[in-house]
Amino acid sequence: MKKPKPNPIRRYPMSRSFGYPLAMMIGLSLAHSPQSIALPLAGRIKVEVVQADRTVTGTVKDEKGEPLVGVTITIKNNNAIGASTDLNGAFSLTIPENLISNATLVFSYIGYAPVEKEVGDQTVFDVALTSAINQLDQVVVVGYSAKKVKYLSSSISTISNEKLRDVTSNELPNLLQGKAPGVVVSSASGDPTSAGRILIRGAGTISAGTSPLIVVDGNIGGSYNPVDVESITVLKDVAATGLYGSRAANGVIIVNTKMGKAGKTLISFNNTMGFAQATTGNFRLMNSQQLYDFQSAFYPRDASVLKTNTNWWDEAFRTGFVNNHTISASGGSEKTTFYISANYYKEQGTQIENDKTGYNFRANLQSQLTNRLTAKVLFNGTFNKDNYANSNTLYDAYNNLPFDPAYEADGQPTDGRTYPGWLGRERENFLHSVQYNYAKAQSLNVTTDVDLDYELTDKITLSSYNRINFGNGLSASYNDKRTKQGGANSGELYNGTSYSNRLLTSNRIRYSEDFGKHGLTLLGVAEAETTYSSSTSAAGKGLPPGRDVMSVATDILTNPTGLNEQVGFRKFLGQADYNYDNKYFLVGSFVNEFSSLFGKNNSTANFYQLGASWILSNEEFLKNNKTLTFAKLRASNGTVGNADGLSNFASLGLYTISADASYSGLPGAAPSQKGNPDLTWEKIKSSNIGFDVSFFNRIDLVVDAYVKEASELLYRKPLAATTGYSYVWVNAGSIRNKGIEFSLTSTNIKGKDFNWETNLNMAFNRNKVLELSDGSTVFNSGARQPIAVGHNMDEYNMPIWAGVNPENGDPQWERIVKDANGNVTKELTSTYNQAQTADSRQFTGKTAAPKFTGGLSNTVTYKNFTLSAFFNFVYGNWVYNESRVYFDNDGFYEAYNQMVPAKDWNRWEKPGDVATHPKAIVGGNKDSNQSSSRYLEDGSYIRLRNVRVGYSLPDNVLGRSGFSRVSVFVSGDNLWTATKFSGPDPEVTLSQVDLSSGLSSLRYPISKKYLIGINFSF
Amino acid sequence: MGVLTLGTVSCEKYYEPTTSIDEESALTNAGDVETATIGTYAVLLNAAYVRSVHFLMEYPSDEIAQGQSSGDDLTRAYRYTHINTSSHATNFWGQAYKVIAAANKIIAYVPDESSITLRQLKGENLYLRAMMHFNLVRVFGRPYSQQSGGNPGVPLLLDGLSDDQINTITRSSVKDVYDSVIQDLIKAADLMSENKSNSFASKEVAQALLSRVYLYKGENDNAIKYADLVIKSGRYKLVQGGEFSGYFKTAPASNAETIFAIRHTKVQDRAFSAIGSMYFSADASGTAQGQGVSGWAEIYASKKYVDFLSKNPGDLRSNFVTPYTVNGVLQYNVKLSPSTPMYYVNKYSMQEGVINLSSPVYLRLAEMYLIRAEANAKLGKTAAALEDVNLIRQRAGLTGTQLYTVANLGTKTILDVVMEERWLELAFEGHRSYDLFRNNLPMERNYPGTHSLNNTPTTNITQKVLPTDPRIIFFIPQAEIDRNSKLTQNP
Repeated sequence: MKKPKPNPIRRYPMSRSFGYPLAMMIGLSLAHSPQSIALPLAGRIKVEVVQADRTVTGTVKDEKGEPLVGVTITIKNNNAIGASTDLNGAFSLTIPENLISNATLVFSYIGYAPVEKEVGDQTVFDVALTSAINQLDQVVVVGYSAKKVKYLSSSISTISNEKLRDVTSNELPNLLQGKAPGVVVSSASGDPTSAGRILIRGAGTISAGTSPLIVVDGNIGGSYNPVDVESITVLKDVAATGLYGSRAANGVIIVNTKMGKAGKTLISFNNTMGFAQATTGNFRLMNSQQLYDFQSAFYPRDASVLKTNTNWWDEAFRTGFVNNHTISASGGSEKTTFYISANYYKEQGTQIENDKTGYNFRANLQSQLTNRLTAKVLFNGTFNKDNYANSNTLYDAYNNLPFDPAYEADGQPTDGRTYPGWLGRERENFLHSVQYNYAKAQSLNVTTDVDLDYELTDKITLSSYNRINFGNGLSASYNDKRTKQGGANSGELYNGTSYSNRLLTSNRIRYSEDFGKHGLTLLGVAEAETTYSSSTSAAGKGLPPGRDVMSVATDILTNPTGLNEQVGFRKFLGQADYNYDNKYFLVGSFVNEFSSLFGKNNSTANFYQLGASWILSNEEFLKNNKTLTFAKLRASNGTVGNADGLSNFASLGLYTISADASYSGLPGAAPSQKGNPDLTWEKIKSSNIGFDVSFFNRIDLVVDAYVKEASELLYRKPLAATTGYSYVWVNAGSIRNKGIEFSLTSTNIKGKDFNWETNLNMAFNRNKVLELSDGSTVFNSGARQPIAVGHNMDEYNMPIWAGVNPENGDPQWERIVKDANGNVTKELTSTYNQAQTADSRQFTGKTAAPKFTGGLSNTVTYKNFTLSAFFNFVYGNWVYNESRVYFDNDGFYEAYNQMVPAKDWNRWEKPGDVATHPKAIVGGNKDSNQSSSRYLEDGSYIRLRNVRVGYSLPDNVLGRSGFSRVSVFVSGDNLWTATKFSGPDPEVTLSQVDLSSGLSSLRYPISKKYLIGINFSF
Repeated sequence: MGVLTLGTVSCEKYYEPTTSIDEESALTNAGDVETATIGTYAVLLNAAYVRSVHFLMEYPSDEIAQGQSSGDDLTRAYRYTHINTSSHATNFWGQAYKVIAAANKIIAYVPDESSITLRQLKGENLYLRAMMHFNLVRVFGRPYSQQSGGNPGVPLLLDGLSDDQINTITRSSVKDVYDSVIQDLIKAADLMSENKSNSFASKEVAQALLSRVYLYKGENDNAIKYADLVIKSGRYKLVQGGEFSGYFKTAPASNAETIFAIRHTKVQDRAFSAIGSMYFSADASGTAQGQGVSGWAEIYASKKYVDFLSKNPGDLRSNFVTPYTVNGVLQYNVKLSPSTPMYYVNKYSMQEGVINLSSPVYLRLAEMYLIRAEANAKLGKTAAALEDVNLIRQRAGLTGTQLYTVANLGTKTILDVVMEERWLELAFEGHRSYDLFRNNLPMERNYPGTHSLNNTPTTNITQKVLPTDPRIIFFIPQAEIDRNSKLTQNP
């Protein structure tokens, strides 16, 4: 952490420090007040000259020999006396006579390990600081303040820039996967235009969102590019997340972007290039011969089909290229620092015609305007161009028949509509369509922050953090008249535009004072936020071939659409933070928040948070213990809310007046949403206990246990059709998540040339629906994953597959029969309707939620070489492999390709066969491919997410080249996966989307990437 | 800081949506009633209604053939292999009750004694409610002729029910649903006095549906009475010659025969999701092309129907079937053995020159003549019945011996003749299976199509569905039973 924090600049409290006996101060490693690290901005530091007795001078550099500007030099246990380094890293400090004997200089700099030097007789001190490797001394931003990890009462995880960016992607979730315990990332696609989803400590909601709140540079929301990220802090427990009140239920991810350091301007180029290929796991499609042989038993074809053997998968997928180039400059004077960067990112999807291009520009400026006023102006502009995969490419890649040719004799793609004797069901060849058709979007997102900190008095700071966020999007999708998609309408064009702005102001007052061993900080925040969005779309038809602008369209295709909407939030919060003697810490806060999303009767809600911690290792009985070098106990309890995922006007009873309600060209209004004026925040009550320990200063273990109980759950409750509505938003019932997570970091070997560090993190979460409203025992019954009291909300409930009847090869399911006396018997049926009833559907005991998730990383450095390997793993979850409906369906579709059966599958052929798969019959065998436990598969996997070898040129090679640093690396993402799952990729969305999770549909599998990087700075 | 805090408090504001209005303000004056009524009609445009109900009503018939197996639930309607999670049955049930619930709000809001405009609008909503209940009871309840309507029908969703009553509503008997439908239609006919276009309900629309409902119920006198009222109203005429051949390409407002159609405007072309897409595939000029050009084209006129139609060369109704030929040779869908001839049906294509655009016709004048003929036939009034049948045949371009006399009926009964004429005339319009089953006749499908996949061997292209077969009606959607356990399932 090298960036200044939105903290007040603290003056050195001269008066009180003088009186203390030195002995009492021993053991404090830093002179700063622990609960809010003072930032040594060079211009603010006054060199205190008490008695002109000895002046010491020197320079401070980093491990690379670069001068460090703004390093604080104090006398140990007497922070009234201090100095800081100038632009050349030089300092001068005068030590009063009465302190010279026994005096120790402390050189401290945020992000670096402090160094102590006994003064003795020396007058010149040339010191080198090394980056703080000890996590505990890292300063992290939690809520509205910054603290050292060791002083926190909360469960958090911090990921540094280097750790974050081993994997190559432009999307944060993809970078976070497996790097923090309890943070489960799942990507549903290898499409570079789509990001993965993040779930922290399990899902605790039914219909509201499960995504964590993103806080960029101190304010909710915002835009950023991963290359500019200094660090990511994941807040997991309520004492930390609570300050974000109504939207913190799913945890908070704090993103801090880089700030400049005073000193010589550093210019860096970072370049990563490589290529990507789709992972295919255990999945293989049949070739012509295999399909011919399989179908011969029930749908014999003429042997002439074997003349063609098209591998449609290979036609649809390619080697995609990945490029990521960043240039940045940072530096500044003692009063003003800057960080400027520009980034170009291009990733070709492994599917043809699919790519993402991103351009990002960031300028972060900070300036000390007056002695008391600091200003920060942060600017980020992102321009993205997305080319979406053609709508039918993926579908056809899986389903097109190998008997149909991809190309004519002249090399042109065939057209399935007109090719004689085309056998595949869809009669389409995506290669023909992609010649002309496209779907693309571009977006511009600009964020500007203006942050002011004003020191009213030594103890009181006023801050105003303000953000404007503009978003603009254009989308176009074109179906040429020569293609199947555009043929019927002689060409189709869809254009869309969207605009949004978001205004946020967060105004804070902070009071901080130490009374002897007591330290107290009070914080008050008033925050308001409003988001306005509008969009329009138009669709035309009748376009000449290759002409893709609306003006050439000769007719309208659908009615134009357009809307504009606004939502608002308002929040007040107060927080008190107390510590005694750096041993005992208490934090308490209260939040009151309003949102226009909720019903007028219940739009405001209150939340509270309490936290406490105890640093045992600062107690006498553990002090200077060589084995247990650090120990802390933490506990927290409180409430937060959830408003994510709610539609903008969810509480209102509505009639739609959109064109959908028009008839015969006349405007109409039709009931569209049932109202609920009592609709309110989902409330989550959460408790956490944990401990942090370090052994030998080399092994860090962080363990947390938590219980999160969500009540008044937001639920988009489906209604019986006879109500006239499809759904109503209600607050209903409660769900509990509880779990244990740990992170173990060990410096196995620490030597001059050779270092080896290992991190293992794991999280175990259990979910249970505790109660539902109106005494209901189940919501959304009939769904694959109903919400049922006493069950995991991700548990599958479905007809139970009972294998194949050995006598006739029919599919079988379990049927539950209740007689008049209520006696229940279980029998087998081959009639799907008898299995698909409320009585016969059963809970499977299998859920889409993993039993545990985690990550394991190893980093070995030898001289200038670094080797790292990072695995992530998911265990005990079940995936519904829905797409087997298409390619493993016992003859249902004779005109779709089929998958090569997995190793342990076999098909019924004759009476007496004990088989996993029913007899194949053209047109399907008795609904055997309908939803049932048949397609549930073990989704556990372990994946080598990244392996990387890096090399930095040694200083003696760099010499006078002008470069201060040159490094190269080769890296591979997702190179190896172990799983039993039969599809291409076991990684599925583990958080619920539309009341369903763990679903594998026709997958765009994630990519294996092979990359090289060259970074240099001067 | 104080200023900022105050400024923040003033941000405590509610916002209104722009594509919706608050329900409290949706029905507050006479103008709103018209807007809301338009909204009720608009639900009929949802594919989940108009497309799904077409599949459920038409595909069990013997006038169509599915040429290749399909994963879409429409296959189950065609093959009589229903499941209780049928997507089309679930769609149709949901949308039909949505129409009824929206209509109920207006019916409850407008008093019987009010302005001519409001009485008209209330009548239109009563008509829509009746139409939905009638379609529901046909799809989910057994024919009235079985047990005299004593079998379970569908929930009768009338205005004035409390939320609790709605949430635990039970299935009324088929008879009770019919009686309620008749009561609504009589009242609707009484309330309506404006001659709106055939995209909207009016007095004659309600009377035309009454005529059909009475026929289904077996009240032949009433069926004749209301058919007469419509025929004699003079609002409609049988379109002739070329106009008849292009019947379904004409926008409803320009078609003098249509009594009620679900009007789709040019911006409501559903392309590959249109009803017509299942039947037809063509280039922009409407010339038949192979599958996948403008539609899936996998449901064809059955060989049985085409053979029957072809008995009278020159029958104008052959214009509604477009054989797909290449160099003059009829093409076959070869996915199955024996393969299925590709006779494209074009009754749902080419409205206003747009390939997949159509405004499905729900009631037209020809049906009124045929209802009258059937009722007369059942009442033994042979001459009156034959007169109406011949009127329809003449309009189709048949002459001389192609017309019926009592003498040339041969072994056919007069009812046989009426039923054959209904089949020829109203094919693909969702009548056929009801016509057979309500008259206690079996459905025989001895022609190529995926229905033979039910048989072993699958080359045995026969299927006979008896009117007593449990599967001539659909399962109540399981999802609805899951939400309201008072609903009972069909066997």
